[in-house]
Parts: sequence; C-alpha cells; structure tokens
Amino acid sequence: MASFGFGLVTASVLAIAAIGFTLQFGVTDVLNLAYGAVMIAAAFIAYVINQLGVSVWIGLVGAVVACSAGSVLLNAGIYAPFQRRGTSPITMVIVSLGMTLIIEFGVQAIAGGTSVSYTMSQGPTVTAGGLILSTVQLVVIGLSVLVMIGTHVLLRYTRLGKAMRATAANKTLARNCGIRTGRVITITWALTGALCGLAGVVFAMDAGSFDATSTDLFLVLILAAVFLGGPGQAYGAMLGAVVIGLATEISAAYITPDYKYVIAFVALLVMLGVRPTGLLGASQ
Amino acid sequence: MKFKTPVTGWVLLVVIAVAAALTGCGSSGSSSSSTSSGAVSSSTASSSSSPSAASGSTLTIADVAPFSGPDAALGPTYLASCYGATAAINSAGGVLGHQLTCKSVDTRGDPADAVPAVNQMFATTPNLALVIGCTSDEAASVVPIINGHQMVMFCMTGQSEFDSVHFPYFYRLVPPDLEESYAMVAIAQQLHYKRIALAFGNDIGSQTFIQPAIAALAKAGMVLTTNQTLDLNASTFRTEAEAIIQSHPDAIMTEALGSADPTLFQEISQLNGGKMIPIIGTSAAISPPFFKSAAAAVGASTFANNFHADNLVVESSGPAFQAFSQALLAQQGKVPGATGDFTTYLSAPGGVHLYDGINLAALAMIMSNSTSPSVYGPDIIKIGNGVPGATVCYSFAGCATTLKAGHAIRYEGPGGPTNFDSYHDSTGIFQVDTYSASGQVNVVGNLTAAQLRALSG
Repeated sequence: MASFGFGLVTASVLAIAAIGFTLQFGVTDVLNLAYGAVMIAAAFIAYVINQLGVSVWIGLVGAVVACSAGSVLLNAGIYAPFQRRGTSPITMVIVSLGMTLIIEFGVQAIAGGTSVSYTMSQGPTVTAGGLILSTVQLVVIGLSVLVMIGTHVLLRYTRLGKAMRATAANKTLARNCGIRTGRVITITWALTGALCGLAGVVFAMDAGSFDATSTDLFLVLILAAVFLGGPGQAYGAMLGAVVIGLATEISAAYITPDYKYVIAFVALLVMLGVRPTGLLGASQ
Repeated sequence: MKFKTPVTGWVLLVVIAVAAALTGCGSSGSSSSSTSSGAVSSSTASSSSSPSAASGSTLTIADVAPFSGPDAALGPTYLASCYGATAAINSAGGVLGHQLTCKSVDTRGDPADAVPAVNQMFATTPNLALVIGCTSDEAASVVPIINGHQMVMFCMTGQSEFDSVHFPYFYRLVPPDLEESYAMVAIAQQLHYKRIALAFGNDIGSQTFIQPAIAALAKAGMVLTTNQTLDLNASTFRTEAEAIIQSHPDAIMTEALGSADPTLFQEISQLNGGKMIPIIGTSAAISPPFFKSAAAAVGASTFANNFHADNLVVESSGPAFQAFSQALLAQQGKVPGATGDFTTYLSAPGGVHLYDGINLAALAMIMSNSTSPSVYGPDIIKIGNGVPGATVCYSFAGCATTLKAGHAIRYEGPGGPTNFDSYHDSTGIFQVDTYSASGQVNVVGNLTAAQLRALSG
C-alpha cells in the first residue's frame, strides 16, 4: 500500500507535466523536448525567490508566471520562425533538443553544478491505510487533481478550449471557421508554460534536492506517459501518467528498484505494439 | 477529448532515442573549462611535451574534476585548495620567478566527457605545470592521458588499480576506496551497530565501496540488511527508502552525492515517522554543499545528530594547520562554485591533501630548478619522504627559504607526514568526523591501522 502511495505522488507530478506537454504538442505541433529544461528553470526561479526569505509557495507562483511568459517567448523567438519556414517535424524536434541543452546548461552556468533544496517544511506525515504521505505530497496530489479538473473544464466547456481542440484537429479549417489560431497557439504556449512551471516546482518539492540536470530522466517519463496515453490526448496523458507512476513504484516494491523504469518502458512498448496510437489515441 | 495523432512510428522511435540520448547528456554533457581570475598565462607553448615555462610566465595548475553532475561538489573543493595554495605561494615570491594560477576543467564526473576535456586542456593551456583532482569518476580514463603528456598529477581517486600499476607522473595522498570501506565498517563497530544497510550511487566512484564493505561487514560479524543502488539520475528513492526501513538497520552506509543522498535522507525520515536512521558516510560527504543539501532535506540538527563519516586524519592545530587555514580562509568568497560554510574545506580531504600536493610540487620545482614535470617530479618523493638530515618544514614559504639556503627539507603539511611507496601512493590513517548543526566539522574519534587490518580480506 505504501508503494501505491509513492506511485500516486509520482503520478501526480507526472500528470501535471504530461498534460502540459501533450496540450502543447497537440495544439502547436511542436514536440518540445525543452519542456524538461523549462521545468528545471522554474524550479530554480522558485529557489531564488525562496532564498530571498519568501515562502516557496510564493516562489511557485513566480515560477509559473515566469515560465508562462518564457514559453510564449520561446515559441515566438525560436519555434514559430522555424515553423513559418516549413521546417519538418523531425527538424523541430532537433531544434527543441538544442533548446534543451541551451536552457539546461544556461541554468547550470548561473546556478552552479551542485544540488540545492528549498527551505520549506514537508509538514506532518499522514498515515492512513498503509499510505504514508507528507502534507506537501498531499498538496501536490491535490494540485494535480485540480489541474486535471481544470483541463477538463477548459477543453469541454470554454470557448478557448473548443478553439484549442479545433486548432489541434485542423488548423486551416479552424482558421476558415473564424478561429484566430495564432492567438489560440500563443495562449496555449502561455497555459502549457504555466503548467510546465508548476510541474517543475512540485517536482523539485517532491525530490527534496535538485540540480540543473534533475529533470533529464523525468522528461523520458513524461514522454512515456504522453505516448502511452496517445500523443496529443489530454485525458490520455492523465491516464498515462497514472499508469507510469504506479507501474514504476509498485513494480519496485516487488523486484529490485533498479528495474522500475525498465518495467515502465516495457509496459509502454507492449502498449505501443498492441495499440500504436496509445490508450486513448484515434484508430488509424 | 481527442486531438489528432500526427506522430508516426518512426518519429516516435527518434523521439525516444533522442530522449534517451538527452538523459545521457544530462549526466555527462559537454566539457567546459574556465580559468580562475587573477594571473594570466602569457606563453603560447603547448604543454604536451612538458617543457620548462618561459621566464616570468604564469604557471597553471589544472583542477580536473567534476564541476557539474552528481559529484559537482568535488571540483570546487579542490579549487578552494588550489586558490589557497597558489595565493600563499605567489605571496611568498612564486616559483622560480613564476606566479601560479588555477584552472578548472569540468569532467562532469563521466569518463566519456573527461577525455575530451583533458585533451582540450592540454591543447589550450600554455605553461601547464601540474594537474590536481582526477577523482574515481574519471581517473581510469584520464590518468593514462595525463601520464602520456608527462604531466605530474595529484589525484583523489581511491581506485585500487592505482595501488599496483606504475604511472611515473601519478601521485596520490589518499587511500584506496577499499580502505575507506573498512573505515566505515570500523565506525559502525565503534558505535556498536550490528545491522547495516548499504545505499551507494550507481557511479563508478561510489560503486567501488560496495564489495569491500560487504566483505568487511561479514568479517566484523555484522548483518547486511539490504544493499540498495541509487540511480543518480532519479528524482525520488521512496522505494529504496522503504526497503531500507523495512530491513531494520541500525545504520546506513552510503555515498550517493549530488541530490541523491539528501533526497534519500528526506524520504527515509518521512517514511520512518520523522525519525532518521543513523548515517555513516564517506570522506566525500565532508563538504559544504553536501551538508547544505542534507541539512535542508532533514533539518540541520537532525542530520548533525545522525551523521558520521570517515576522513583522513588531518591537522587541526600546529604550524602546518596555521599556514593552511590562513591561506585557505583568505580565499573565502573568491572560489567559483564554493558554497556553504567555507571552514568545512579545512577538513575536506581534497582541500587538505591537494593543498599539500601543490606545495610538494612547487617545492620540487625549486629543488630541481625546473618547472618541467619530467624534471621536478622525482624531487616530490625526496621532499615528501625526506632524506636523512632533512629539515622538517610546514609551509611553502618556510620550506622554500630553507631550500634556498641549501638545506634538504621534508615537507609536512596539514595532511601530516607523507610516505610515498614505489607507486607514489601515500596513505594516512583515518579519523571519525561529525557535523555540528551549523555545518562545522568535528573530529570525534580515530581509527587505527590495526582496526582496518582486522577488517581487510
């Protein structure tokens, strides 16, 4: 049961990150591998604010705002110009990989190579039914649930969400129907950048100690969750995050933890072999 | 809520391959180097053939060590000793008319990154006179290269392969890792622990501790409750922490630098009802960044109350320590990457022994009247081990004066007397260190050679 609790926490952090990643990809057509680097930049922004004697929760808000703005700028300054030139998707992946290294090593150059921690309390530990979770972990789970509900409400009940779905489905048709797709894409970068910032700070809170390269492996988990659920599928990302998060932690309880990521990726490969479009992807 | 599915199988494969490569890059990445502020090198000659430097030029000491990645705390520790030693040497008139400067060469703690970084160092560093650092992370790959360039190096690696392989330019003032494993078990004996869990990082430098530790635990009659390997790229170790707690150890022996150990400590504390399990660390844990991260993870007083580490015996008083502490503390705030309580560097093995190494090399240059490593190298042994009738001296300034007066010297720095063997290894004995809640290092005991012998295979 304790492993289930660990899996819930991992899945929660993963879900926040994966929802942002898959929304970004679905609407903007950019498979942004720099997402993990932006996450760790967010973690360090919150750290800098925290080191000024301010609560890390306020730092979280600052990081969310900064990453939202930063993601819009990243698109406007880097990705959009490449897309306007008709750059192929695979080349865009390489561009985003380049941005990953630029951001990550940029953070490292400024913050140094050593690991840092927030000055914060994890709060009282709550034990119930075999679950052992700190207050901060419960807050992270709560935030994740809020993000999932918020995403559902956004996509299902708001004009913006419908415009995002239309843009994702067929940009040209959406534009012909009067949707200002350029604005929708910009707002999507802002929203997903905010989710990226939120994911980065809760990731760092959960890890306890982090450095400039801490999200490298986590990015692979995000990709696994996104592709397991079906790329571009918001609900698929939620489901994928839960499956990957629980699979890694629960499997580690029964076999050596060395193989917990192996188990997650074996599950992904089996899934893709059986259903290449992912759990919630459209049939081809 | 369906969006389109535009990614075909081949793109997916490329993405996963790229992501996997990225994970590798994150832990290794590209190499970089930066020169410390201060003196500027003026010669344009390559150092690959180790010639004597041009008169009046500045000599460079390269700190080849991790400045990023999980072991990133090591590089700044060594750099602090370099800054302290070179400043003291420069203020005493330098070496044969040369001033000294320090240069950092980032290996990222990865052999694959260390090799190009070292090659670049040789290609771009005029008047390179000495290399320090070379930890277990990268020593196996860079020591042959440095030796091939006929460059003297003082290495911090504990790998046992250097006990019996002769590299003429290799010098080491720290013991092999297996002795440090014995020291950790000896600490457990002193503290009357019976059940020990192991939790070591998956890097080369940490993995070398495990087998000697397991053997020593068996010899000591202790129970190995569990052996957990920590993936230094992972962000949580909850499962490993739970496994450790469930095995009910009296203490945990660990070395997993970077963010791994602090994260593990936090998760153990959380899953163990807020109670920390005592920790026995290696000498690498005696560094300000490690204390800062661990203290932030579980609380400074909790960490201080539950932590012991082995460390090589270093002076804490006397003329050698006075000179060392004065030189080192004068560099507070000047060393790039040095964070936390700077006084911790006075006890950090790298800080102490590389300071001694630099002094030994500088004095050997004066003794041989050459800055060429192939010429001054052999005199390191004479100055370290001493010759009959040699005058014992404790600082560069004092030793240089004695040398210039025509007397033989034996240098005894803050690391104590040296005794190089035929492989240029000089290993001391161990002490037991703890931290205070403010991060200061306290010596709480000593380990005798007999204790370690009793635990060896």
